[in-house]
Amino acid sequence: MLEIKNLKAEINKKEILKGLNLEIKPGEVHAIMGPNGSGKSTLSNVLSGKKGYDVSGDVKYLNENLLDLEIEERAHKGIFLAFQYPLEIPGVNTNIFLKTSLNAIKKAKNEKQLDAIEFLKLVKQKALELKFDEKILSRQLNVGFSGGEKKKNEILQMSILNPKLSILDETDSGLDIDALKIVSEGVNALRSKESSFLIITHYQRLLDYIKPDFVHVLIDGQIVKSGGSELALELENKGYESLS
Amino acid sequence: MIEQLKIDFDKINESLKLSSKSLELRKQNLNQFVENGFPNKRLEDWKFSDLNQIITSNIKNLSFYNNTTQTEIDESIFIKNFKHNKIVFINGEISGVDLSYEDEAKIILTKDLDHNQSLKEVNPLVSLNNALILTYIKMTIKESYSLNKPLIIYNVTTKDLKSTVLNFKIEIILEKNSSLKLVSLSSDSSEDNFINIVQNFNIEKDAVLKNYQIDNKQNSNIKYFYNNINLEKNSVSENFIFSMGSKFIKNEINCNLNEQYSSAFINGIIKLKDSQHHEIKTNINHFAENTKSHQLIKSVLNDKAKGIYQGKIYVDTKAQKTNGYQLSKALLLDDKTEFNGKPELEIYADDVKCSHGSTSGNLDEDSIFYLMSRGLSNQQSKELLINGFLLDAVEKITDLEIKNFIRDMMGITE
Repeated sequence: MLEIKNLKAEINKKEILKGLNLEIKPGEVHAIMGPNGSGKSTLSNVLSGKKGYDVSGDVKYLNENLLDLEIEERAHKGIFLAFQYPLEIPGVNTNIFLKTSLNAIKKAKNEKQLDAIEFLKLVKQKALELKFDEKILSRQLNVGFSGGEKKKNEILQMSILNPKLSILDETDSGLDIDALKIVSEGVNALRSKESSFLIITHYQRLLDYIKPDFVHVLIDGQIVKSGGSELALELENKGYESLS
Repeated sequence: MIEQLKIDFDKINESLKLSSKSLELRKQNLNQFVENGFPNKRLEDWKFSDLNQIITSNIKNLSFYNNTTQTEIDESIFIKNFKHNKIVFINGEISGVDLSYEDEAKIILTKDLDHNQSLKEVNPLVSLNNALILTYIKMTIKESYSLNKPLIIYNVTTKDLKSTVLNFKIEIILEKNSSLKLVSLSSDSSEDNFINIVQNFNIEKDAVLKNYQIDNKQNSNIKYFYNNINLEKNSVSENFIFSMGSKFIKNEINCNLNEQYSSAFINGIIKLKDSQHHEIKTNINHFAENTKSHQLIKSVLNDKAKGIYQGKIYVDTKAQKTNGYQLSKALLLDDKTEFNGKPELEIYADDVKCSHGSTSGNLDEDSIFYLMSRGLSNQQSKELLINGFLLDAVEKITDLEIKNFIRDMMGITE
């Protein structure tokens, strides 16, 4: 599904990613762990198309050159980034935003767009699954949401848009243990043979709930070690120092 | 220009049967205009909008007398969103009045120019208006009467308009405890005209005026609005300005909070593109204790457009416990756009609460990235953010029907 070869990225002349290689097959869950400043968020930004980076290397996504695609085209083709810090958008109703987003993707895929009633039915069901208070959806997007509500809102969007490749950028940060469970259940419910996940995290804690197939350690812009889920535990015990 | 003005002045007065007193007043006003001419940027209040220069460069031959006969009303301009009363001005003349939802005994209409009480020595444009108006309408809402439906004043100009300058005046008296929801809607198909509109509102004790001024259709006209609002005890003036369509607008509001517990709300949107140039200028005069004013202006500027908000709050020595507030926020979407904000607070009382704020900037790139990462195009993302930015000014509209109408007009759906 995703094949990254020798990916380099720099911002303001500072090289952050220094030749990263990674392959994710359909249905797999990959976790990337690493210390602060190792390039984790840069990786998620580059994969979802954020401007401002000088990028080189080869990234194949569903047999297309990902780096040639615009931000919204990547979303249309099934890439979803759950933001570490979801943005507050004043004056934009959350429900309207969700519907605009879903229908933009459906339109790009030549699928039938949902009308207001079909959409509300879908959103109600998804909100219920995530134990997400529906009332929040009539508020302005992320404005005045608690940290937990913002993260749950990201997972709600993910579950409505039903992406092929989901990138979760430190979704666990700022979540209490109950919210962490709900968010993890939301992610687990979306796991299938067709959908893949790239989970970026500081801590092993999230991986207790979402069991990864592979764990990679990112240090100074490169993957220095890969292994199974047991690698996360090892890191938790020994820290990143042992690898650098 | 002056020669043509004098010729047209005589023609206009020949066509009207005015009392000698009215005629004398008009002559005085004409002289006041002739002495000063169109305002230019050397005047402090006009330093961001040099009207003299704008008129000179856009209108070749100034003429002041429109002698066309009335045009048929094009009913397609009437809005269908809600039931309403109508007054239709075509090229400055009253072409139709429909108050069929109301008790007609409660609304007194006068068109007799001898009843025009001219606002004295405000500025040369108001003098010009006083000197030249061909038609005038004065509406008095009787005590304790609330209109059942809103009143829409359609300001229509057509290609039949002969003169390049058009003056008209509307006066509304709200007697004690009465109320009116007023919408002014411009619809212009004349080109390169200067339209000078004076509106005077007297809002008596406990009366409420909601006044929504909408200029949303693109046109090449140059407009000046002078709104004078007098408020008595415990009365309310709610204003909303949607300033988008014309090439140039200066919308001036002079609001006198003359008696206790009166309040004034001025909210507005300036949304411009190309080389449009719009200004909102307010003078809020707190002349009595316990009066309140609140202003919120949101501007979105594209291309080479220029937006201006000059908001003044004056607090008299008598006006203790005044609460005055103003905020201006502008989005500048192009390097060549310009926004000028000039807040002014002039306070002579010591127990008051007054504040102002002004910000301008561009759209947040991270917010655009967030929305695009959800499949929205760059254009869609920007539109959503811009509408979101404008929405809190629209949300200030207290009449739900009209708020929804304006939201529809802006393309905000729910």
